[in-house]
Formats: sequence, structure tokens, C-alpha cells
Amino acid sequence: MITSEEVTHYIQNIPPAPAVVRQALDYARAGDLPKAAKCASEDPALRHYLKILVNRPLYGFKNEVSDVSQIFSILGVSATVQTLYNYLLSLLTPKKWELFTLTDHQFYDLQASLSKRWEKILLHLSVNDKELHSAIALIPATIIVCEALFASRKAEVVQLRSVKALDFNTILKRLSGRDLFDLAGEIARTWEMSDKTISLIEGASGLRETLNAEEKTLSQWMHLLLFYELSQSVYVSAGLNEFIDFQIDFVGDIYEPFMQVMA
Amino acid sequence: MRAVVRGRIGVFHLQGFLDGNNAPSFLTIDDIRATEALNVDMLLVSLKKVIFFNKNGLDTFVRLLTNIRIQKHIVVGFCDYDHSKFKAINAFYGNELSFSLFKSEKIAELFVSSNKNESKTVLLYNSDHSQRSAMAIELFDYGHNPVIAQSLNEFEEKRQHPELYYAIIEDTYLGYFGQKVATRVTGNAIIYTISNFLDAEISDTFNIAYHNNSLNVGFRLFIFDAYKVVSMNIHALNFFTKLASAGAEYNATICFVGLTFEKTPQAFKNDLEDAGMLFFDNMEDILKNKELLSDLGGGGGATVKQHRSLNKALVNELPHFIDATVSTIAMMTNAEATRESVKIQTLTVTDSADQVASSIGFYGDLDGLIILIFPRSIAKKACELLIGDANVTDEDILDSLAEFVNIIGGRAKVLLSENKKRLDITLPRTYADVKTLLEIAQDKKGVQVDLNFEGQNFIFFLTR
Repeated sequence: MITSEEVTHYIQNIPPAPAVVRQALDYARAGDLPKAAKCASEDPALRHYLKILVNRPLYGFKNEVSDVSQIFSILGVSATVQTLYNYLLSLLTPKKWELFTLTDHQFYDLQASLSKRWEKILLHLSVNDKELHSAIALIPATIIVCEALFASRKAEVVQLRSVKALDFNTILKRLSGRDLFDLAGEIARTWEMSDKTISLIEGASGLRETLNAEEKTLSQWMHLLLFYELSQSVYVSAGLNEFIDFQIDFVGDIYEPFMQVMA
Repeated sequence: MRAVVRGRIGVFHLQGFLDGNNAPSFLTIDDIRATEALNVDMLLVSLKKVIFFNKNGLDTFVRLLTNIRIQKHIVVGFCDYDHSKFKAINAFYGNELSFSLFKSEKIAELFVSSNKNESKTVLLYNSDHSQRSAMAIELFDYGHNPVIAQSLNEFEEKRQHPELYYAIIEDTYLGYFGQKVATRVTGNAIIYTISNFLDAEISDTFNIAYHNNSLNVGFRLFIFDAYKVVSMNIHALNFFTKLASAGAEYNATICFVGLTFEKTPQAFKNDLEDAGMLFFDNMEDILKNKELLSDLGGGGGATVKQHRSLNKALVNELPHFIDATVSTIAMMTNAEATRESVKIQTLTVTDSADQVASSIGFYGDLDGLIILIFPRSIAKKACELLIGDANVTDEDILDSLAEFVNIIGGRAKVLLSENKKRLDITLPRTYADVKTLLEIAQDKKGVQVDLNFEGQNFIFFLTR
């Protein structure tokens, strides 16, 4: 179905971050939002993405916000960095979703919602590391990779899943030795994100056994957050609820505080 | 979301959070139609990976399950939960619990027919005496050996030795049950348990699809355990005589055991005997008499006298069946299986040592049987995607082999539907050694295709 050669080919073809976005990221990470905004304004696609994203109902602005520097100042440093990564990821979205019945706007909403809720979680956990704030942006990469690798094999997967409850992540792992979270980690590596971020993304599968205490805690919260989002009606309809295996035992001990943070 | 079908059970595997807002999104109209079309005896919703649910969320599935139960007379309910989820469901529905609850899928499997010859010893406790009795009766009717704890103390004491039991049944509840005639397999005989007064309802409660499947995959002896039958009317009599006529094509034998004629007209017995039914007083009279068992067809397939010959229609579709097999292997292993030879002959296995086999029957516009015989190592390799790389038992390999032939059957069904040929597939059957299979199939003529996979041969055999 899927060979390890295909997976390697996919990894080799992950595009590097465009120079403009890389520069905007550097400025944003350094806290210089005006320069980051100036840089981002040079890329019309990025400008358009930011305008669409920030004006989604989730952000709750009454009037349309269209100026990039205004958008960045509203978002603040961490959310700006996250948003720039979200944009990078949006460049990998397919022209047409085939495996999942998803629209680009629904995908952007998922990115935005994950980002906002991750902020709340990090606040609750008193985590200030900016790199870890951005890590959430790479979690939807699992969806994009899954779509890219399995879209042409939909019928085969349906047949396989009619006799065995196998998720895409397990199928990929068993066939190629790498899972969707490994590949999301590869994307993060290509975009030069920190090792800490990559470990966290990979740990969010809930399947890694070699995590230190901090990595484990953050991975647990990220895994549960992902399933909290994927249980929303729109993503259930899109088929996203069953694309990876929910590791219920992995998150059992953070369920109560998680629900308090989400309330 | 579609239910995963394993044996005679369909299961919806939900994940994450389940409430009134998102629950309807799990089931599209197509999903509901596909569920209604399933040929299963039990339909369950697994709560294993549901971290949160409320009553509104469950209600969506309860409505679907209730409709299916009413339409198809099958057992429906929830499974795979812990004690707190069990308590929550009971609190939500209280006395209105019209569905069943099984603590695990493994426990649920004990309450449905399978074509495995297995009697499991299970420890059973329920504080409700009527539930405890109902479960014990069902388990017994399905051929198992329930050890019933009469008190909580006794249960706690007995459960200290879990190694003695296949499963420990607690936090389980039987809703509307006994809607299907209980079925069990003993050796090569299939035993149906019937009870009370038999009337026209028997045609709803008797699983005719399962019976036809069993005929197709080679079972030849069917026994009605009728100790608990009080009497029957003309509609039930008609049903049994038709069943006997249909079985005659396969040279099947149908027996009644323990049926008394105190309240049933003697003329009915004559009619049933005319139709070819046999009557015995005790089950042991058949099961412990090897010679008789063999004569009746329960000792294997060797006694089958009438062979259904291979026909042109089936041979014409051979490429589709081979394609389905080869493409399934390619899908599951990323490796190619190549055809070595194709011959019309009786099934010939040169080296039966350390081989496993599986078969799946099909019926509809075409009928026949696909048999696959693999060296054990190849079977494991072919099923690696289903099994994973963990250490696996022989039973795991056989279970996966059943899933594997199920996929092949499903693919053949799809390929043939493109030629406007409609097929239904039977339950797969697996064989831990080839000897039992050969008893059933060695005299049958069919198309034998020797295939090579990673340097080792395996056999594809298509017959009727």
C-alpha cells in the first residue's frame, strides 16, 4: 500500500520555509513585531492568509482587521510566531481534500482553535518557552501528511478497516516504520524548529516511551487537546476523528484539569 | 463511521468526546444504510476510547441500535467500558435499558454464534438473579461452560484465580436477548438450541444466512437441540421441512435431539422424517458415537457423496478471484505474489507440515469456495499489517488469516460487481492444520493456483 520509499520521497520533498517567512519568523522570535510585519507584508499570500485567519469568528473581532502590523500587535509575539508556522503549514495543504471531507477554511479554523487553546494550556502549566508555544502549529501537519499519503488509497483503507479497527497512523507505521507524528517532526526539522519542539510533536502521538517528565506532560496535554478538537462536529464529519488512535490511558491523569482549563 | 465486522459482530469504535452536538456527525445517512445492510448477529458501540460521554451523545446511537434491533432481531448495545462508565449508563437509562451491555468485546463474543469449535469456561456474577440466570442459559446454549457465583463473596473468592477462566463476566447486562436461535459448533457439527413453542417466528429468529454460510463452507451435520421445545405449529413444521429440502442439495443431515411428541402431533414427526430429518433422544447418542457422527456427516467432509461440480460460470470469473488474492497480498505486504501454475484438479498439498489454511464461501449469482493454504511463516508475513510486530500466538495468526480472507472475499465481491454479478460472502473459516481441511475438500475438483510469495509457495484453490 505505502512503501518506506514513498515516505522517504515525501520527506525529501517537504519545501523549506520561503525566505520572507523565515525572516519574519526571525524578527518575531526576537520580539521585533514591526519589522516582522513589514517583512510579512511583502508576501501577498501570507498577507491574505493572515487577513482571513484573524477575521475568522474564533478571534471575535467586530471590525475587519487587515493591516499586518495591526494583526501582529493584536496577536502578540508567541501567537505571531505560531501564526507564521500555521501559514507555512497551509502551504502544504492539498489543492483538493480527498481523504478527509475538509475545506481550507475549516482547516484554518482547526489551526486557530488549537493555537488559542494551547496558549491557555501553557498559561495553566506556566510554560513560557516560546518554541513550545509554536509546537502546536505542527500538529495539523499529521492531517496533511495523512491526506497526501493515503488519498489515492482510500478504497483500500476502507476495505482494510471493514475487518479491523486500524487507524492511518498504525497502518503507516506497520508498513513503513514511521508514523504521522514522525513525519510532522520531519517537517519541523526542515523548518529548523528546535529539538525540544520536534520531541514534543513526536511525543503527541501518545506512543513514545522515552519521554522525560516535561515532555510527557506537554505531550499528554497536546494529545488530549487534539482529540478535544477532533471531536468537534465539523471534524467528526470530515473523518478526522478516526485518523489516529486516541491513547486514552496516556491522558487519563490529566483529564480533570484539562476540562477545567477548557471550561 | 462504519462498523468493523469481526465474525458475527459489528462494532463502532468511537474516540474522544461524545455529546449531543457531535454524535449525529458520526453517522451519515450512508453509514446508517450500510449498518442496516450488515449481516451480523450483534451490533455494538465500543466506549473503550471515549473519554467523555453524556446521555444526549449515547441517545443518537441508542436510536440507531434500537431501530436495527427491531428490524433485524439482533442483539445491540455497548461494550468496552470500565465500572464508572457502566454505572453512568445505568444511571442514564435506569429501568429503560433496552440494549445490552458487555464489559468487553471478548465477553460479547461469547453470546454470538461463531464457526469455531470452542467451549470456554467463564466466571459469571450479577447481583440481579434473573440476569445471572439469563446469561448462564445463553452461555450454555452457545456451548460455553459458565461457572456461576451465587454471591458477591463467592465471586470475589473465585476471581482470585483468573487463570481458571477464559473471561470473568461482571458489569454486563443482557437487554432484549434470545432474539436469535443460539448456535454453537461441536467438531464438524452445528448445534442450534431451540425452545418453548415454535411458530412462524422461527423464520425470524433462525439465522438462515449463518446456516447457508455453514453449508457453503463445508458443514454437513446440523443438530437442533430441542430438549426445551414444548410444541410447534404448522408454520414451524413448514420451516423445518423447507430447511431439510434446501440442505439436501448439499447432502446435509439435519437432526432433532430431545424433541418429545406429547404436545406436538405425531403426524408432524412423520412429515419431518419424510423430509429427511432424523430424531435422537440424547445429544450424546450422536456426539459420542464416532461412527454415527461420521455417517451423518459430522466427522468431516469425506462422507459427502454428492459433489457439486466446478462450472464454466465460476471458471470464467477465476481471474477476478486471483486478482483479489494477489492485490490483497500486495496491499497488505507491499510485495508481489506471482502465479506459478494453474490446474484443474483435486486439491493437492505436497507438504502439509506446518501449513495453515483458511476458506471463505460465496453465494449469489455465483457460488463456491475459496481456499488458501499457506506455510505458517508466510501466513504471518501476509497478516503482519493486521497483527503488528508484537509476539503473536498461533490463534492470533489464525484470527488474522480469517480477516485476511475476508478482505479477499470483499475485494472479489467488488471486482465481480463491476461485471454486474452480485455476491455475498460467508464467514471465513480457518484451519490450524491442513488435515481437517483436506477431509472436507480433498475430493472436490477445483482450480488450483500455485502462487509464490517471497520465495515460498502457497495455494489458492477455487471450488464449489
